[in-house]
Amino acid sequence: MTKDTLTGIIAVLVGGTYTATALMLPEMRMGDKLGPKIFPLVVGIGSVIAGLALILGDRRPGKQSKKTDFGFVEHKDIWLKILLTTVVGIVYGLVMDKLGFLIPTTLFMLFITTLINKGRILQNAILSLAFSVITYGVFAVALQLSLPRGFLESMLPF
Amino acid sequence: MQEIFANLGLGFQTAVTWTNMMWVVIGGTLGTIIGMLPGLGPATGVAILIPITFGMNPATALITMCAVYYGAMFGGSRASIMINTPGDASAIVSCFDGYPMTKQGRAGTALAISAIASFIGGMIGMFFLVFLTQPIANAALKFGPAEMFSLMMFALVATITLSEGNLLKGAVAIAFGLMLSTVGIDALTGIIRFTYGAEALQDGIDFLVIIIGVYAVCEVFKNYKDIGAVHKFDSKHIGRVWVSKEEWKRSLPPMLRAGPLGFIVGVLPGMGGTIATFMSYAMEKNLSKKPEEFGKGAIEGLAAPESANNACSCGAMVPLLTLGIPGSGTTAVMLGALMLLGVRPGPTLFTDHPEIAWGVIASMLIGNIVLVIINLPLAIPLVQILKVPTRIMLPVIMGLALIGTYFLNYSSFDFVVVMISAVIGYLFSKLEIPLPPLVLALILGGTTEQALRNSLVLSDGSLGIFVQKPISAVFIVLAAASLVYSLAKRKKQAA
Repeated sequence: MTKDTLTGIIAVLVGGTYTATALMLPEMRMGDKLGPKIFPLVVGIGSVIAGLALILGDRRPGKQSKKTDFGFVEHKDIWLKILLTTVVGIVYGLVMDKLGFLIPTTLFMLFITTLINKGRILQNAILSLAFSVITYGVFAVALQLSLPRGFLESMLPF
Repeated sequence: MQEIFANLGLGFQTAVTWTNMMWVVIGGTLGTIIGMLPGLGPATGVAILIPITFGMNPATALITMCAVYYGAMFGGSRASIMINTPGDASAIVSCFDGYPMTKQGRAGTALAISAIASFIGGMIGMFFLVFLTQPIANAALKFGPAEMFSLMMFALVATITLSEGNLLKGAVAIAFGLMLSTVGIDALTGIIRFTYGAEALQDGIDFLVIIIGVYAVCEVFKNYKDIGAVHKFDSKHIGRVWVSKEEWKRSLPPMLRAGPLGFIVGVLPGMGGTIATFMSYAMEKNLSKKPEEFGKGAIEGLAAPESANNACSCGAMVPLLTLGIPGSGTTAVMLGALMLLGVRPGPTLFTDHPEIAWGVIASMLIGNIVLVIINLPLAIPLVQILKVPTRIMLPVIMGLALIGTYFLNYSSFDFVVVMISAVIGYLFSKLEIPLPPLVLALILGGTTEQALRNSLVLSDGSLGIFVQKPISAVFIVLAAASLVYSLAKRKKQAA
């Protein structure tokens, strides 16, 4: 599938879903001529129209856009890294409030450095530890910003 | 005129404090370092450094962000010159003649002229900025909702028509941005829209989270393919970081010509540094008596785009400061960070907080001088940062981006949003869907809808209000003209 056609399909699907949701919104005009649904309707329909135009424009002979290549197979190592980073990034955010700043940040950095800077265990460990300590020092101590406090932070005098 | 100088004096009073000066130096240096790292531009720099501005007063915060922005503009070309890899898109042109100069053993000259041209371009940009902001802000104070709506429509249309790329994909990006802006409680009626049952979405989607996702985390993803990159160069062959009298003579006219051009391009939404640098390069090549030297180490080919780039960054501050409309990715990030600090840039900034508006302008003047001082004698030590392997830099940037995300709302949910927006941003880049229009629409969406609804309340539902009001009509005509111009240009290119 070409890039324009796929973009068009996404625009039609997203725009269509959005428009359908907008149609379910109440009118509630009360002096407000448009109400809460007209602007979203215009945007949703605009997305569908732009999507359809992309799909139709891509069907003209000799005017086809380039073929879509996300590189899922050729660059599967990159995609695996992106997937792992995404999952670990979300988990990092979820555990931070419970475990505090220092431990999750060190572990997150250790994971990311191991993923990116393979085979250099000591270098990664030092970088991860240094990063979490320095950022804690800068944000929590120097700039006095509030950071989540776990059991490790509660033992610190600052 | 007297009012401008009085305001500038007030600005210097705000800017010239030990704290602000310290942040100009720190921000400028950090910006230079981030700007020179391959693949990371000023938007990424400002995005990951937002947390350091928390706890600052708004003036210091904006001064720091401007210093980062400006520093990144100075640093962007370092990697182009030394390793033929642009720091960001606006530094691509600097590879054309900068790297050949390095290969000829003239890296020192290239680094010097790039810093000097950045300074001169910045000063030209600042000159226009100082004299244009107040009149524009004064005019904008008279804008009602109809004028604001038309202005924002023009900004959105211009973002896709003035930039390169597919118009329809730009329109899709704008639609997606506007859709995201409508998520959450409707400000006028209190109705919850498009949350699909997710409580975390009721307050809307914080556009800064999306910005960090697409400008910082996504950039790290894009750099995953170059993890193994190690940039080597011999520092001994850089030579003296200075320019000869002859080289100075050759460079000055291109710098002076490129400055105003860059400024004008910067003011227009959607154009930005990349277009400014390419236009100035093409202009100099056309004007040159020896165009064949371009691409082979012609100093004019480096001086002009460097000057245009920095003047462009000053130009981009005009719509941000006077109208509250960011014309580029970086100014969008700055707008978001300021709104977080409770400051809304726009015409009222000049009446309600002139010390902030003019303090920033004064700090940019000072920053320009500070940065040329940093970038000339410290050019050689600074470029050593390019030798730090990508595999070390990327985790640090990722870590800073996520910590920055946490500071925005102290919300775990934001981590989900930032990571998903980074993945979507990465997929969009593969589909060549432009992200700046999406981000701009997301930022302006709420205000655009409100302006539209308020206008129609005033006109009793008649759309005629947008053409009956002269200023509004001008913006509508400009939007239409930019669309027609863009369509005609693309048709000509296709033919």
